[in-house]
Amino acid sequence: MSITTKSPILEVNHLKQYFSLKKESLFSPKQTVKAVDDISFKLYPGETLSIVGESGCGKSTTGRSILRLDEPTEGEVLFNGTSMTSLSKKELRNVRGDIQVIFQDPYASLNPRQTIRKMLQEAMSIQKVMPKEQMEARLLELMSLVGLRPEYLERYPHEFSGGQRQRIGIARALCVNPKVIICDEAVSALDVSIQAQIINLLKSMQRDLDLTFLFISHDLSVVRHISDRVIVMYLGTIVEIADKDSLFDSPSHPYTKALLSAIPSIDEQHKKDRIILKGDVPSPIDPPTGCRFHTRCPFATDYCKKEVPALRSLSETHQVACHYAESLLKEEIV
Amino acid sequence: MNKEVVLQVKNLKTHFTTSKGTAKAVDGVDFTLHKGETLGIVGESGCGKSITSLSLLRLIPTPPGKIVEGEILLNNKDIVKMKEEELRKVRGNQISMIFQEPMTSLNPIIPVGEQIAETIRLHQRLPRKPAWQKAVDLLEMVGLPSPEKRAKQEPFQLSGGMRQRVMIAMALACTPEVLIADEPTTALDVTIQAQILELMKDLQKQIGMSIIFITHDLGVVSEVCDQVAVMYAGQIVEHRNAKDLFKTPLHPYTQGLLSSLPNIHENQQELQTIEGSVPSPYDYPVGCRFADRCPHAREICRAEAPDLLETNNAETKVRCFMHTEKWEVIEEKEELVCP
Repeated sequence: MSITTKSPILEVNHLKQYFSLKKESLFSPKQTVKAVDDISFKLYPGETLSIVGESGCGKSTTGRSILRLDEPTEGEVLFNGTSMTSLSKKELRNVRGDIQVIFQDPYASLNPRQTIRKMLQEAMSIQKVMPKEQMEARLLELMSLVGLRPEYLERYPHEFSGGQRQRIGIARALCVNPKVIICDEAVSALDVSIQAQIINLLKSMQRDLDLTFLFISHDLSVVRHISDRVIVMYLGTIVEIADKDSLFDSPSHPYTKALLSAIPSIDEQHKKDRIILKGDVPSPIDPPTGCRFHTRCPFATDYCKKEVPALRSLSETHQVACHYAESLLKEEIV
Repeated sequence: MNKEVVLQVKNLKTHFTTSKGTAKAVDGVDFTLHKGETLGIVGESGCGKSITSLSLLRLIPTPPGKIVEGEILLNNKDIVKMKEEELRKVRGNQISMIFQEPMTSLNPIIPVGEQIAETIRLHQRLPRKPAWQKAVDLLEMVGLPSPEKRAKQEPFQLSGGMRQRVMIAMALACTPEVLIADEPTTALDVTIQAQILELMKDLQKQIGMSIIFITHDLGVVSEVCDQVAVMYAGQIVEHRNAKDLFKTPLHPYTQGLLSSLPNIHENQQELQTIEGSVPSPYDYPVGCRFADRCPHAREICRAEAPDLLETNNAETKVRCFMHTEKWEVIEEKEELVCP
């Protein structure tokens, strides 16, 4: 895919999202959680870009900041060239029709007292998608699109199973004709057989409706299946961005390598070379100096403790933030 | 095989009586656990895997739940028939359990070392000081950094991975013969999960205990288990050596489950899915419980319930007519009827 020739539909520039903590006492220093700390990336029309990382790496916060569900501390988000961060509430509402979100737990994000019909109608009339008369036809179309029976329109969220609820979440995101959908752990809570159904549904919808996905997930197997490009985050920063094949076939950041090797596999061939990281993810309140991964990195040097590695290009489609990425790749130290 | 049998479960049925009727959460489970073996019980939500594990220690809330039938033989003594007092000796001493969310199983306001020491004092009648020292030793064994300091901390001061290590230390305090681990790594990140799995494998070698590992994650099962029992709708549908199961799954449900997993090592176009959904535990079909979703189902599958039978290999059991002699006979007949 020659995505690089197109102009990005969504551009994130130096996004920072800090949350300040309550002071423990009057004289204690002010503490901030640097959930997302200066990240930049571009999302091109028609692609699926995934953000992966472990809990607390800032992947969900990134999604929320893009939508301005949390106001970003610093940085800029451009949607089709216009800055989202400077829009007024009213203007923002128009843009939100173009960027929709699907959450992990659809039950928590669906109003339990609204029928599915009411919920979809409400979203459509707020976004003024179409005149009232045409809505009925659109509702039926949406239901068949996500594989639900039309009579389910009259039901309430509690009457559905997890997989069905996720289909409703998808229908709700689609009803306003969005261009970009942010999927925040959209399939993580589902059983594998249901997960496979939802992933297939998302993929077919992308083909048919020309959607762009920002797919946030911790599950690397799912990510490999659904993405075109992948961003790996660690402790609020991006450590690697690459197209899917080069990320999974030749991961360049030691963290990405460890992450990939830690995934339990049912495949006998891939069980040997496991890297087990020592220790836990450090606190984002007081992240390590220099490279944030140095406390757990098996290859860390004194230089890593001092200098923050910049995200730099290894090839046209592969960027990595590690001082020693080339030598690690060449020598295959792992 | 002449391996020593530690735990034998025969025709276990745990049912729940509610206003909607009787939910047959566990409906005829049989398995045998050998010494030093790790048995994985896998299946999707609602298949009865957790209820099976809770039944083993009689931790089912009664009412509404009840073990209505079956035997759980621990070294030839039936847990189902035990009195509460006897049961208390089994729990923790002979069979221990760790759960998915350590935060909900640990007391939030007592230092973790004290919680472990309390277990030791109660079960082994040790005085305070030696019990505390043993708790610290256990924490060291499970790889908690600076155990003396950590033992004095409360659960909220530890990370998720550390808490799970504390739970494991507590479960191992009395060197049980059987450890039941119910989704012990599900709430953890993959890099931490890898640490915990490695730890469990090491400790098993040291102590020589048997593990029942309950999880929905097939990858984890293939990493740690020797034997695997796949559950569907309250029953075991396939019970085999882990390597064989992942190589050549026999039951159509296992086949569907494995092929719906996205593969991290290669690119696939479309994922296989299992059509339809799990039957309600209040009202199972007469025949095979998987028949409605099974691509191979025939008339007999809907009319008769298959048993969990040994195949040619005595260590392989599968609940499916496809692997019985009946199937061949039917095949010929049916082909005559409908081409």
